[in-house]
Amino acid sequence: MPRTSRLRFALVIALLVALHFYVRPRLWSPRIAPDFLMLGLMIFAIRSTPGAAAVAGLVTGFITDALTPARFGAAMLAHTVVGYGAAWGRAVFFADNLVVNAGFIGVGVWLRDLLVLVASGAGGRELLVQLGIWSPLLALTTALAGVIVLGFFRDWLEIRLEE
Amino acid sequence: MFEPDRTYARRDTALFLLCVGLSLGALFSPESWQTAIANGVRRSALAPLLALQELAEESRTSRFRIDALVAERDSAAAAAQALPLIKAENEQLRLILGLARRLPTPSVPAEVLHQALPTDGRTMLLSTGRRAGVAPFQPVVAPEGLLGLIRTAGARTSIAMSWAHPEFRASALTEDGSVFGIVAATEASSESEPMLELRGVPYRDTVEAGTRVITSGMGGVYPRGIPIGTVVGIARESEGWERTYLVLPAAHPGRASHVLVLQHPAAWPADSVPHEDSLP
Repeated sequence: MPRTSRLRFALVIALLVALHFYVRPRLWSPRIAPDFLMLGLMIFAIRSTPGAAAVAGLVTGFITDALTPARFGAAMLAHTVVGYGAAWGRAVFFADNLVVNAGFIGVGVWLRDLLVLVASGAGGRELLVQLGIWSPLLALTTALAGVIVLGFFRDWLEIRLEE
Repeated sequence: MFEPDRTYARRDTALFLLCVGLSLGALFSPESWQTAIANGVRRSALAPLLALQELAEESRTSRFRIDALVAERDSAAAAAQALPLIKAENEQLRLILGLARRLPTPSVPAEVLHQALPTDGRTMLLSTGRRAGVAPFQPVVAPEGLLGLIRTAGARTSIAMSWAHPEFRASALTEDGSVFGIVAATEASSESEPMLELRGVPYRDTVEAGTRVITSGMGGVYPRGIPIGTVVGIARESEGWERTYLVLPAAHPGRASHVLVLQHPAAWPADSVPHEDSLP
């Protein structure tokens, strides 16, 4: 990857981190405001190898676990699996459409929540309500944010998208 | 279909398995290690980002909650009008009974720094820590009632365990003081929002729906009188032995933005600790 390309990609990731910590707290309810860290992981996974995406997932999960230590390690496991799976999925399905990419991001967020809840020992009604109501809303808002970011930084991210 | 290079595929699989192994290692490592690692990361690499989030939370609070804050302040001011009279009566009664002065409960204000994980309500990241006098086991309250207690305290941030955490327990009693029990998060609730249970109520005692439940002050963690919630019905009963009641919580950790951390008598100067009868 050329140096300029790496720098541009790093800038986009830095922007997403800043959005996560500075803009996200100002948006609606914290339960449904877009998860920009997860979005950064999905964008990274879309354009990198599965192994690198797994490592990025581990790092993202580590940060998330340090901030929400209800069950330390659960987010690391969930982000690793989702990052690796997203990179493989992208390689297999060639999702070059913006809407397909948004769906990809949404499914990734929902799967992440499922894995975190299962690894945290959540069950019964809590699991159903979270996965049936809150996680789909979070997935939707994150996917919408993904559409905006992918559309805006299409050239910088060097992601092939159908016109 | 995409046919990845076999060497790359092996390397990817090896990296993935390594990451999964590290995650599982973190998941099953001793709690003291987990706490130390999380505190260390929050204190170092994440400190600038948390400062940024704290700034955003404060800004949001001042912009969007100003009307609510003004209304709360007005209500508090109205309620405080009768306070001098009540204080004077209290002083007189304490003098008659030979009790020392009632202790004030010092508190530390904090912002709740919400995160995106679905388990965010079980623990809360607070924007205050040891430098402000926060220590483990100090109660955390919202204006509506009890939220939980401090689990670990870093220098500038701390982690609170909310009542939604499976390990949370608090000694409680009904507002009239007639029925005692232990409050914990429900294992299975029919409601869409997390609820609490009042456990261990003797079978002979009946608690009507609508009865308010407060902290009992037993156990030395929570001072007596903090609102916990309202009884909405019977969750289950062991015939002839005990009943468990379903309690609608007064405060919800997912919606809390501003909290107070109540400090313990142990944090006060030794010469100001009075006779135990005068503890709140």
